Amino acid sequence: MNTPMNTRTRTNTRLRDSEFTFMFQLISYSFIIILSIMCLLPFLLILSGSFSSNESIVRDGYHLFPTDFSLEGYKMVFKFPTQVLKAYGVTVFTTVVGTTLGLFLITMAGFVLQRKDFKYRNTFSFFIYFTTLFGGGLVPWYIMLANYFNLTDTYTVLIFPGLMTPFLIILMKNFIRSAVPDELVESAKIDGANDFRIYFSIVLKLAMPGIATVGLFLALGYWNDWFTSSLFINNPDMYQLQFYLYNTMNTITFIDQMAIGTGITLSQDVPTESTKMAMAIVVTGPILFLYPFVQRYFVKGLTIGAVKG
Amino acid sequence: MRNKTIRHLSLVLALMLFAGVLAACNNGSGGSAQGSEQGGTSENKGDKVTLQFYMLGDAPKDLPVIESEINKLAEADLNVNVKFNYTSWTDWDQKYKLLLSSGQPIDLIFTADWTFYQSYAKKGAFLALDEMLPKAAPALKAHVPDDMWDAVKINDKIYTVPSTWIEYVTEGIAYREDLREKYNLPKPESLETLEAYLEGIKANEPNMIPIADSNANHTHGIRQLTSKLVNTAGQLPYGLDIMYDTPSTVTSYWGSAQHLEDLKTYKRWMDKGFFPKNVLNVKDTSNSLLQNGKAAVVLSGENPNKFNADVIKVQSTHPDWKLAYFPYPNAKGFAQPVHPIHNGFAIPRSSKNPEKALAFYEKLVTDKRYNWLTEYGVEGKNFEVDNGYYKMVGDAQTNGFPREGMNGWAWRNPEFMLYDKTFDDVLTMFEDLDKIKKPDIFTGFAEDWTPYQAEKAALEQVEKQYLYPLNVGLVADVEAGLNTFMEKAKQAGLEKIQSEYTKQWQEYLKSAGIQ
Repeated sequence: MNTPMNTRTRTNTRLRDSEFTFMFQLISYSFIIILSIMCLLPFLLILSGSFSSNESIVRDGYHLFPTDFSLEGYKMVFKFPTQVLKAYGVTVFTTVVGTTLGLFLITMAGFVLQRKDFKYRNTFSFFIYFTTLFGGGLVPWYIMLANYFNLTDTYTVLIFPGLMTPFLIILMKNFIRSAVPDELVESAKIDGANDFRIYFSIVLKLAMPGIATVGLFLALGYWNDWFTSSLFINNPDMYQLQFYLYNTMNTITFIDQMAIGTGITLSQDVPTESTKMAMAIVVTGPILFLYPFVQRYFVKGLTIGAVKG
Repeated sequence: MRNKTIRHLSLVLALMLFAGVLAACNNGSGGSAQGSEQGGTSENKGDKVTLQFYMLGDAPKDLPVIESEINKLAEADLNVNVKFNYTSWTDWDQKYKLLLSSGQPIDLIFTADWTFYQSYAKKGAFLALDEMLPKAAPALKAHVPDDMWDAVKINDKIYTVPSTWIEYVTEGIAYREDLREKYNLPKPESLETLEAYLEGIKANEPNMIPIADSNANHTHGIRQLTSKLVNTAGQLPYGLDIMYDTPSTVTSYWGSAQHLEDLKTYKRWMDKGFFPKNVLNVKDTSNSLLQNGKAAVVLSGENPNKFNADVIKVQSTHPDWKLAYFPYPNAKGFAQPVHPIHNGFAIPRSSKNPEKALAFYEKLVTDKRYNWLTEYGVEGKNFEVDNGYYKMVGDAQTNGFPREGMNGWAWRNPEFMLYDKTFDDVLTMFEDLDKIKKPDIFTGFAEDWTPYQAEKAALEQVEKQYLYPLNVGLVADVEAGLNTFMEKAKQAGLEKIQSEYTKQWQEYLKSAGIQ
């Protein structure tokens, strides 16, 4: 009597379990699907815009699928690819050099600042924290870089200001403190390792997840930077990619809004809607395809530190 | 002991590494820029200096070629070199401010009323040129008429070299003439005929949106049809009314019966479907909407020059269309040519070689070789002179230096100027406007908004929130909407702004001797 009852209840709970699982999966999948569609739609609009003829965009607006298929946007972009390519080169260069150099400096700073046997660590930390609370503002910053360091129109100015940020130093310092136990440093010392040896062989290896995070921050910062170009670069060959694009768009806005009363005429060719979209695709495309491949390393790197044996 | 030396050594090494990296970047790329800057500041290396020349906008592709050609000439004539720098249109206003306030050596910089020449001159950002001009640039002094020198004076001193070419940037209505003929509509030359024209378009071309508009720009156009304001573009700030014939009387347009009537017109137009419903968010330019056949009328932002560009564009893409233009001055009865401070060059206070800069600028304006090189490029390579007309070699894509590619609006010299053949229509329009010409009395006025800076910012917010929807007829009850706007504007400090502005304006009229 008892046994079948028991099995029935058991199957019931099992059923209910799988029902819940199903429900959960249904909800989470549909949520994820809706979310990814929301992320994909704008991109699709740009993609279809880049393949539409300009006239159809102005007349009928953007469509998910091009109503009037045309390659004129891409033709315009690739007619003179040198400028886009140069901007690409500058951005890649600043990103690679800036990230490598920045990582080196930030890990060094983090390592030194968390060492208990470094007497002035609090003083130095204070100097770094202080700048997060009180900054000089734009004008002194500009004067410093342009007049005192004479960095206008140099690659240094694109790399140098972004090398170290207090936030990343603090992040790195805390990470190293938690990832590298003092005892490890001590025993390495006893075994005869000097500080550089400790830094290279122990700290850098153990801090990999932290380095991945900080590196991502740095790289994104350099890749998306346009402001330094806007302030310090006069030579169009040295424009960063983002600034090159941003400036093209701004020129259009300027012609439309300012030129009314100024009466000035700009003789350069204004890119059409479809050209703008094609340009956006050309610029984001490679990164878009690169990201899924690089991303898994980030995920791996970030989770290493999360679970401790 | 040994440990200590190693530590010291490695510290030094690390520092050297860091310095080395920075230095490498510096030398590798920016060496030339720095070299020229040092050349500009050191006087002991003979007399030769490098002038830093700052323009707005983007540099043309062939700028290096032009720069080296100009430098050849300038070195022989004046023993100077010039470096042409461009700000780009992105955040140019911020960069302009930084260039002038940071004190970096700049020898020549573009000025105009829209780059706030008046307030910079008042604050002492530029050098006064009065004493320098006769000595350093006598030909330039003679080239610019005396009344123009007078007109650019701020506090009785000259701070900018004005451009002597006279143009009109007055606006007008650009419309589709072929559709007007096809449906037998009236010419849109007054508020009534404009409405009739728009109605006809709406009825016959259901796919078109009659008015190309974004951000409620049409209101400036309509005001120019209905009033005789002192400002050419019909854009007086803070809702003020100053009529050209009675400049000393300042009244408030906002809240007046005329304002209410105009807003009702906009509401009626919106109800009739003359604007798109999302007009406040339209991102397309008015010109592109007209050029692509989406709209039939552009009410604001079309000066003769821009209209001409539209005509050329439409001729190439839709030869069967016809565009026509009605200048607002014809409705107002007078036209104002641009004020002399509309295009000019000043010498910032940070300049190391003001005399040389002025002498070079004189060459740029009065020497045909310099002028043509910087306005049109290299003859034969960038342009040809065909029957007295300017002719571009190739097209805008292949040519590295299109007409006025350096943005040299300020050193146009009427004696040397070459026009494109298509520009004839604009020149004819200018001739017509010359007949009803009256001097611009508004642009010489420099508003000082420091007394009401906070109120100004607050008012801008109120305007965006309460007035813009009224301007495009999106508020059901216009009268109540206007009352709310006026109430909020008064709370923001409208009265203080208006009375302070009036005071400044009347002081200006007195000092300029205008009745």
